Amino acid sequence: MSKAYVKKSKLLKATLGLKNIMGRHFLAIEQAIRDGTPTAWATSGTPVELLYAMDVQPMLPENSATISAARKYSQKFIELAEDQGFSYDLCSYFKTNIGAVESNVDVTIGGINKPTFMLSSDVICDTHVNWFQVQAERMNVPHFTIDVPHVVSNTNNRQYNYFKKYVAEQVWELLDFIQEITGHEMDMERSKEVAKNSYELSMVWQDIYELRKNIPCPISTKDTFGGLFPLFTMPGLKAPIKLYKRMYREAKARVDAGIGALEQENYRLMFEGIPFWYNLKYFAMLEKYGAIIVYEPYTYAFSKFMNPNVTKDMLLNNPIEAMSELMLSFWYIYDLKTRIQKFKETVEEWKIDGVLLHNNMSCRPNACGLYDLKRRLGDDYDIPCLIIDADMNDPRKLNETQVTNKIESFIEILRERKKK
Amino acid sequence: MKKIAYFDAGIITPEEILIAADLVPIRLLGNPNIGIDKANEHIPPTHCVWARNILEQAIKGLDSDIKGVIVTHGCDCTNREFDIWLECVDLDFMFFLNAPLKRDKTSLKFFVKDMKELITQLEENFNVSITNEKIIEAIKLMNKIRNLLKEISEYRSKMILKGSEFHHIVKNVQQQDKKEALKMLEDKLEEIKTKTSFTDKNLKKIFLTGSVIDDTEFIKFLESLGYQIVQDDLCIGTRYFWDIVDETEKPIKALAKFHLSKPIYSTKVPSQKRFDFVKDLAEKYNVDGVVNIAQKFCEPILYDHPFMSKKFKELKNPIPYLFIEMEYNRESYKQLATRFEAFAEII
Ligand code: SF4
Ligand code: SF4
Repeated sequence: MSKAYVKKSKLLKATLGLKNIMGRHFLAIEQAIRDGTPTAWATSGTPVELLYAMDVQPMLPENSATISAARKYSQKFIELAEDQGFSYDLCSYFKTNIGAVESNVDVTIGGINKPTFMLSSDVICDTHVNWFQVQAERMNVPHFTIDVPHVVSNTNNRQYNYFKKYVAEQVWELLDFIQEITGHEMDMERSKEVAKNSYELSMVWQDIYELRKNIPCPISTKDTFGGLFPLFTMPGLKAPIKLYKRMYREAKARVDAGIGALEQENYRLMFEGIPFWYNLKYFAMLEKYGAIIVYEPYTYAFSKFMNPNVTKDMLLNNPIEAMSELMLSFWYIYDLKTRIQKFKETVEEWKIDGVLLHNNMSCRPNACGLYDLKRRLGDDYDIPCLIIDADMNDPRKLNETQVTNKIESFIEILRERKKK
Repeated sequence: MKKIAYFDAGIITPEEILIAADLVPIRLLGNPNIGIDKANEHIPPTHCVWARNILEQAIKGLDSDIKGVIVTHGCDCTNREFDIWLECVDLDFMFFLNAPLKRDKTSLKFFVKDMKELITQLEENFNVSITNEKIIEAIKLMNKIRNLLKEISEYRSKMILKGSEFHHIVKNVQQQDKKEALKMLEDKLEEIKTKTSFTDKNLKKIFLTGSVIDDTEFIKFLESLGYQIVQDDLCIGTRYFWDIVDETEKPIKALAKFHLSKPIYSTKVPSQKRFDFVKDLAEKYNVDGVVNIAQKFCEPILYDHPFMSKKFKELKNPIPYLFIEMEYNRESYKQLATRFEAFAEII
């Protein structure tokens, strides 16, 4: 393998196109509002594809919240929400959204328009439902929730089957709800087209992830943290597929040339949780140790087609049932037993040296189980893990010095292990 | 006698099914006197302290008669913690009951299926047969208990029974054999009927709402500050007995209906219904104020609070409303005294 390393962790050229794609997303929203086309807020984990299939323009408040953070506005919005009585301990995406809406700010810093209706689900967290309930009441818009049963470590097949049915029934109800509000009917042909695009988008993303198995890893979180957004704002559209294909081609060329995203790759890491959007630079700090994050369940999770039962054929023939089943079974909501197993497999397949686990103060559902995950990975599989306490959108909850010290000690452990 | 425990923030576990399986349902509750140590190895310190407290007890070992645990869909804490229980609690039978989030026909159908699954698993595990007849019998027993509790509850507003005494009674019912509970309630009612009302007429009458409040000492603490809880929508309170189960309907469906129509908790939607219930009772019982308590990190209540606060203010005749975030230990109660005293002064 050639040793032609590039100098520093380098962004793919294709990733620069992300800005344009996301720009198109926001333009489409603007256009919809201007034309009076129906719009909907949706939480991640909901079948956004169906909104596209019914000519409803989706808006993802979580995505907007990350923009506020990246533009260093999240703290201000969070504090505004707290002034209104929302606790310091609540999810900072939610509070960012409350503050941003209240301040009526521009989309470029995380503002978001009033939608025609809201669509939430408790598939990832109950916060999503509480969040939209609060905002639907404040903004006076209709709100539909899909209740997704929790698949736990001892759920059996019999249960899984009636869970699927329950979700599918609600998705059909959602279609009625949308039709009633917007007058738009479900067009099955369009829905198949959207489903096909969504599938393709996800598959390219998964292919990109496959490339990350290579040593050196061709792309870093500079490409994936932001690169994930089209997956959950624009699943079903063609435009992001092209972008992902460009990313793939460029990464593949790097692999073929033996070039890694890092000049010198010493340690391969996995990062569990949501990154600190207000301080993405922080992750670049890892480079000075020659450490690169090669896998993030969070960014991988949104390429939702991971359930082998949901084939492309099923998706095209029964899009509703397929979407419903996917809601029950994607990376981000794996039960603890599956989560441990998946981590173990991922560590092996992506040749990972250590795992960073973000104990996110905002995200209790994701943080719950991290301690057991760490212990099991360490005890049963000898995989080193480090827990970092922080928050994805609230800079007040990241103690940089403390986290840096912890990471340094962790790298030291990895260094010692390499020596053996 | 074999017991089965349930961990349930919203009190939606169908005890009748457990009784019909010849098991004594025991509700798991916190113990503010214990320190958290083992549970902290599994759950971060920024997660609900009440839930951690219960896990602590479970890791250290529950009553040896307890042969299994049912965890019922509550909040993000309890939902994800079930898998942790599977990892570290040594019990043969563990079931996660997916009590639906919504209250409509589709959810009802689903809940019936989930209850049937619970029945199947109980039958397999405990080698029992849970017949409709036995469930109906249990429903009748529980309805008697509910009716008695509702009747006894009224003596709070008549200023005959202290809020803390009533709290203690409901708590006992949730943690004991139901036939014994029935007998205890019948005796209690007779005893209460002979009592006269308190002499202190200056007590502030409040409606208590919020997270799980299972420490009777906390209610006593409020009483020491001059409050009387005349009504509530707590799970150790009204939500446990407000309505009764339809005895004429198919039993499992009747149970599902009962649980999906009882006073709503913050873990379920919509909040408007929770507000309406609290408001109607607060007005009916002519309370001086509403007190909403959130256990530290209790997200459902924390999300609801600004809404509740606004709604009480917007009423034609606004109802004074106090919101308190509370630590789960007795020492910390004292620190809240000033806020409660200040509230008592304005209502
Ligand atoms: S950060 Fe966690 S709690 Fe907040 S919206 Fe996302 S998944 Fe839900
Ligand atoms: S007190 Fe609140 S956070 Fe704790 S288990 Fe109950 S509902 Fe959940």
